[in-house]
Amino acid sequence: MNCDSMNYPLYIRSVPTQGELKFHYTVHTSLDVVEEKISGVGKALADQRELYLGLLYPTEDYKVYGYVTNSKVKFVIVVDSSNTSLRDNEIRSMFRKLHNSFTDVMCNPFYNPGDPIQSKAFDSIVSTMMVQAF
Amino acid sequence: MAQCVQSVQEFIQDSFVPMVAVLCSEDAERVTRKNSLSFPELLRPFCRLTSEGHLRDPNNQVVVVKGLRISVTGINTRPPQTPEMHKLLSQAVSVCQPPEGSPANVITAGDYDLNISATTPWFETYRENFLQSMPASEHEFLNHYLACMLVVSSHEAVPTEQFLKLSQEQHRIQHSGEFTHPKWFNPNTLKYYVLLHDISEGDEQRAESVYEDMKQRYGTQGCYLLKINSRSGSTGADEQMPDPWSQYLHKTSIHSPVNVPLVFADGVSETHPLQLDQPTDAGYPSNNVSQSVNNVDVTRPEKQASVTSHTTPTPRGTCLTLNDHDHIRQFIQEFTFRGLLPHIEKNIRQLNDQLVSRKGLSRSLFSATKKLFGGGKVPEKSIAELKNTAGLLYPSEAPELQIRKMADLCFLVQHYELAYNCYHTAKKDFLSDQAMLYAAGALEMAAVAAFLQSGAPRPYPAHYMDTAIQTYRDVCKNMLLAERCCILSAEILKSQTKYSDAATLLIKMTTEDSDLRSALLLEQAAHCFINMRSPMVRKFAFHMILAGHRFSKAGQKRHALRCYCQALQVYKGKDWTLAEDHINFTIGRQSFTLRQPENAVAAFRHILINDSKQSAVQQAAFLREYLYVYKSMSQLTSDSSLPQLPLPCLHSSQTRVFFGHERRLAEGEKQAATHVSLDQEFDRDLSQLWRELEEQVVAVANRGTVPITFQPSQCCLNSQTDNLRYPLAVVEEPIIVEMVFRNLLKVPLALSALSLLWKFTPKDFSGPQVVCAPFFFYLARLKLLPHKTGELHVLGVVYNLGTGEVDNSEGSLAGDLMCVRGQQNLEIQGPRLNMTKEEKTSVKYGPDHRLDPIITPPMPLLEVFFINFPTGLLCGEIRKAWVEFVNVSAVPLTGLRVASTHPEFFTFGSATSDLTPVTPTAAEHCSAYKTVAMPPSVATVSLVSPAAFGVTSSDRPIVAEIPLSQGVLGPGEALQIPLWLRGPDREGVHEINFLFYYESTEKTAKLSHRVLRHTAFICASRSLSVKATASRSNTLHGRERESEERQEGEDKNGSMLVFVDVENINTSEAGVREFHIVQVSSSSRQWRLHKCINPVGDKDSKLASRERGKLCFKATRCRAEEATSEKYTFADLNLGNEQIVSSTTPCADFFFRSGLPSEPRRGGVSTGGASQMRRQSGTDEGVTNIVKKCSEVELDIIVLWKAYVVEDNKQLILEGQLHVALQTIGKEACSLSQKEEAQEMVLLKFKPDVPPPVSKPSLEQLSHLIKTCLHYPESYDHPFPQKSLCMVPVTLMLSNCSLAQVDVIVDLRHKTTSPESLEVHGSFSWLGQTQYKLQLQAQEVYRLSLKACFFQAGVYNLGTPRVFAKLAQTSAMCETSQQSAMPALIIINSV
Repeated sequence: MNCDSMNYPLYIRSVPTQGELKFHYTVHTSLDVVEEKISGVGKALADQRELYLGLLYPTEDYKVYGYVTNSKVKFVIVVDSSNTSLRDNEIRSMFRKLHNSFTDVMCNPFYNPGDPIQSKAFDSIVSTMMVQAF
Repeated sequence: MAQCVQSVQEFIQDSFVPMVAVLCSEDAERVTRKNSLSFPELLRPFCRLTSEGHLRDPNNQVVVVKGLRISVTGINTRPPQTPEMHKLLSQAVSVCQPPEGSPANVITAGDYDLNISATTPWFETYRENFLQSMPASEHEFLNHYLACMLVVSSHEAVPTEQFLKLSQEQHRIQHSGEFTHPKWFNPNTLKYYVLLHDISEGDEQRAESVYEDMKQRYGTQGCYLLKINSRSGSTGADEQMPDPWSQYLHKTSIHSPVNVPLVFADGVSETHPLQLDQPTDAGYPSNNVSQSVNNVDVTRPEKQASVTSHTTPTPRGTCLTLNDHDHIRQFIQEFTFRGLLPHIEKNIRQLNDQLVSRKGLSRSLFSATKKLFGGGKVPEKSIAELKNTAGLLYPSEAPELQIRKMADLCFLVQHYELAYNCYHTAKKDFLSDQAMLYAAGALEMAAVAAFLQSGAPRPYPAHYMDTAIQTYRDVCKNMLLAERCCILSAEILKSQTKYSDAATLLIKMTTEDSDLRSALLLEQAAHCFINMRSPMVRKFAFHMILAGHRFSKAGQKRHALRCYCQALQVYKGKDWTLAEDHINFTIGRQSFTLRQPENAVAAFRHILINDSKQSAVQQAAFLREYLYVYKSMSQLTSDSSLPQLPLPCLHSSQTRVFFGHERRLAEGEKQAATHVSLDQEFDRDLSQLWRELEEQVVAVANRGTVPITFQPSQCCLNSQTDNLRYPLAVVEEPIIVEMVFRNLLKVPLALSALSLLWKFTPKDFSGPQVVCAPFFFYLARLKLLPHKTGELHVLGVVYNLGTGEVDNSEGSLAGDLMCVRGQQNLEIQGPRLNMTKEEKTSVKYGPDHRLDPIITPPMPLLEVFFINFPTGLLCGEIRKAWVEFVNVSAVPLTGLRVASTHPEFFTFGSATSDLTPVTPTAAEHCSAYKTVAMPPSVATVSLVSPAAFGVTSSDRPIVAEIPLSQGVLGPGEALQIPLWLRGPDREGVHEINFLFYYESTEKTAKLSHRVLRHTAFICASRSLSVKATASRSNTLHGRERESEERQEGEDKNGSMLVFVDVENINTSEAGVREFHIVQVSSSSRQWRLHKCINPVGDKDSKLASRERGKLCFKATRCRAEEATSEKYTFADLNLGNEQIVSSTTPCADFFFRSGLPSEPRRGGVSTGGASQMRRQSGTDEGVTNIVKKCSEVELDIIVLWKAYVVEDNKQLILEGQLHVALQTIGKEACSLSQKEEAQEMVLLKFKPDVPPPVSKPSLEQLSHLIKTCLHYPESYDHPFPQKSLCMVPVTLMLSNCSLAQVDVIVDLRHKTTSPESLEVHGSFSWLGQTQYKLQLQAQEVYRLSLKACFFQAGVYNLGTPRVFAKLAQTSAMCETSQQSAMPALIIINSV
């Protein structure tokens, strides 16, 4: 799970920590798809664009979902392909929660946009989401 | 996909070319061997036709064949077997490396600027080799031999027979069935007879005749006479000939593996001179790269070497002239146009005829069978048993294959339209037969043909390709074909800018079975991503990494490294640290195995220096690897300059430099001056304070002026000090450099054997010697001891770096292994300049010369020790301590001075006082004061000038000179002098700074003086609080007159009462049992204490805790001769039997040093008055002055006390003195200065203050103008029965306190308005005049005789006269009622 604005990672968290490198690569690569999707929407529809991008691409083991805020901050969720309990709607609400929490982080006057997120509140939100999901 | 040299069309055409076999006689082979080439090799450079060929298709349309290439190979050539092919391909790829400094292609995508090699020649090489080494397959005929050249030398005895033999041989090979290879296109192969004539040897006539004979036999179109070897090899060695074979060299090795045997022996790697020993090194950490993988790479240079050694001495084609080249070219052309193309044309026609005829037949047959079997798709031949997973297998001459053959022929001669149609038809046939392999082949070629059709392009049928690939891979399990198909398709898609599809295709082809292929295809896919219209940089990077991974698995280390490096460009500096670390790590490893230790070190360095988020275990692994690589690198280079180490992080700017030797801190009870040490934190305020002190002492030393060249001494330089100048260091005195290391890793690092790196420009000879101090964990302090004068530059630090882990088993050994030596430079940047505009707009830094000291000639060095120096004192306590000055240098010192922030705290005694140099131990229990035994009586008086105590003018004596014998302290000499200390007046912890200043006896230009600092902390605890009030003695005046009539005239009104309130405010913690007031002294220029008039007469004034005592003294004015200008009168009133001479050291010292005497304060008042006066009228001014004067006193009271302290069951007697300054009569003064207490928070004001109202002398002040005093008998007997009126004479004394004329009105009338007073005062009345108007001169005393009349006995208050006064000059002013007299009671007795 990840947030990203100028394509620098703001926050990355993965539950099985041993494969972290792989997830980093996956998330990083998925940014290309996100950008493609954003640019593909076109200028006219840009303002009423759906923030949720849906499934970015499936790999053999994982499903990668994307979400982009209006300020071009990207959220990416990677879930196990075998996990069938997570439907599109669940993913969508997870993104919405993430977005809300991220907004809270941004509202912190001491948070410098672009810095890695070190908020405990954000951490706990992500943790609870992960516990629910997996 | 990367750009290619060839266009796609060219590439595809070249991939599928007519194949021609060559069968050589031995003699012919020998002829070509002269050029160290075989016959096919000889022909190869000339196999591309430069001119156009023509042929007619079955419809008699002319087909133009452009740029046709034919492939000529020996008949025995076999396509390599799979493992062999893998080796060859991998070799070909590894040989082909990107050229050094290849054209940098910068692609800008978003915010990424990527430097990517635009071409991938290794991939092209791979592709070419791969396609050419494809084994001929059953299902397609493109690479089946169409023709065979039979080559016979003219040298042969009977060439014709030889031709016959060869022809038979060819027939045998094709038709006997013994050989599975080579494959032939169709049974009647074109045989072309070539007579090879060696011009240099053979008889040309004979050759010609044989050729004529051949023509007869085979027809002109079926034979050729090729003349080569125009010269003998030896002659033309010097001549420069183009070598067209060079670029076909590697092909040679592939197609004739027999000729150049490849050596892949394991022994090669061991005997290689440059072979790294690392794979066998057990110490190499986590060496997961298998040895076999290394071998490809290791043998690569060996192979290259062998090839070059093979080629350079025997250049190819040495016997061939340019004419011969032309001959060969002509021959090929002749062969193609006369022999091959007509043969193909003929074959196409034949096949076409067959097909047309069969078509009718098959159609009818088809329809018949369909009718019979109900449309079931049954193969028409009974070959179902041959069905395998790939579908059907047709026999080679099966009619179904005829159409495919025709298609292939058409394809080869570039008749793509017809070819497409044929492929299309074939595809349908094969599909209906479920012959999947054949169908896939047809699909593939149909797609290619469709693409190559130039005239009426139909859309490229990409799905054909997809199906073909899928079929090849999944149904036929033929990866080679699938790969070929994939490469073709990707190439075509790429040419149509369908990069995304191409990438998908390529990625799909990556499988586990071949790392090399996967790597190459992934790399191409990555290039596809970057070439997309909106480049997908991250996908590019990711696939590059995958490719790099596969390359490294395939043993292609160089390629792997290149891939990782390119990927790194994307990941670098984007905070994707985990990925970045991984890439860097891999790059490091690869670089190392490729013997590029510099790059490896750089890559590892990146992992370690950045703030790593890796786990500690991972970091430890990285560190070990780094150290290993670094060590092997340093072993390789082994030159004098040590490489830079990245770890631990050296904070250059925090480097501190300390000049000066290490001091002894304490020695017994001796306590050394603290001076400056590296352990102290830099404090800007403090350094400013020292600087000011130094400036003051320098000013004093230079008679009042600070020289322009003055610079404060800086012993310890850090980032905040002024480092613009070169610091001065003294020879033979150490320089200590403190460096701050920071370990950013989570694993410990061990540094050892640290030493400084320096450069010395000697003014004399020989350099300094470096001594290393022991290592601190974060701070390293290194000492440098200069032995000669000159300029020193500290450049950096050299040290051993090792892992901090201690292996218990083989600790020392492992430590040695994992320990590298390197250096880090100390580069210090000065502060950023921000003064001028230019500096503000640009980023400029000032110089910093912290590390470039100048070594000066020897200077004296002072050490100061304090003996019996207390840490805690009572407020005002006097203690005697000793101070020892030691000159530890070899140079005498002079001009010793001390400056302090608290000059009132200590004194060295006045110059006049006789210094009795008692040893400090003996003096321990003596009183600090000078005492004289004397019973308490009237005060003893002495006159002292403050100048004698070093107090000049109004300035506080901040600087004190320390007397030295003969003014010089010689080398090694020590001097002990006493030092008195007085506890500060305020309780709390006080920081007292001493600055000792000294000079060398000989003046050196560089260093004029040196200083030594000392900071003492004194904890002051509360002792006594002394409050004093002075009041006018009104009533006493009369009595005094009676007792001391003699003096009266002199000090008319010159006496007053001084009340001293002493309270013990000590808190019991200090163990003080009680205080004794020993003596009260006064010091003033005008007043002195006269005697003690305590009413109780309690001489021994003890004060236990919280007790309060009151002392009362009479003070008188000094005698006229005493009250001269500058001298102070000290009057001592001892309460015990010992008089302390207050006018000597130390009492007077402290008195003067405490900065009291009234002078400065009075000055302050008068200036304050002056500022007020500006707003006042001239008269007011005078009034104020006069009025003030008359209530002013300047009397300083010194209270000397003893305190009995119990400490450790011992009773100690402490002494002390407290000062109180009396200024105004009636105002209470306190020993604790009130000023500070009065300091409160000042409200922030936004409006300027309203100017204070014009201060007229207050009524209260004015009421002190006249002192009144009634003189009368205390009781008066009067016989009232006899005489009812009693008249008592009363004298009213009026004394003018002011120095001006005063008009006085005395009003005797009772106040009629107040009935109470009547009641209280009873009835008495004044007789005579009830109002007097008088004028009193300055300080005049006037006696007014009055008479009071009483009517009956009783007690009366006579104090009713009201006195009004006004200054004579100020007429306008109303008179002020003077202080009402105290009740003056008189008792009238009736007798």
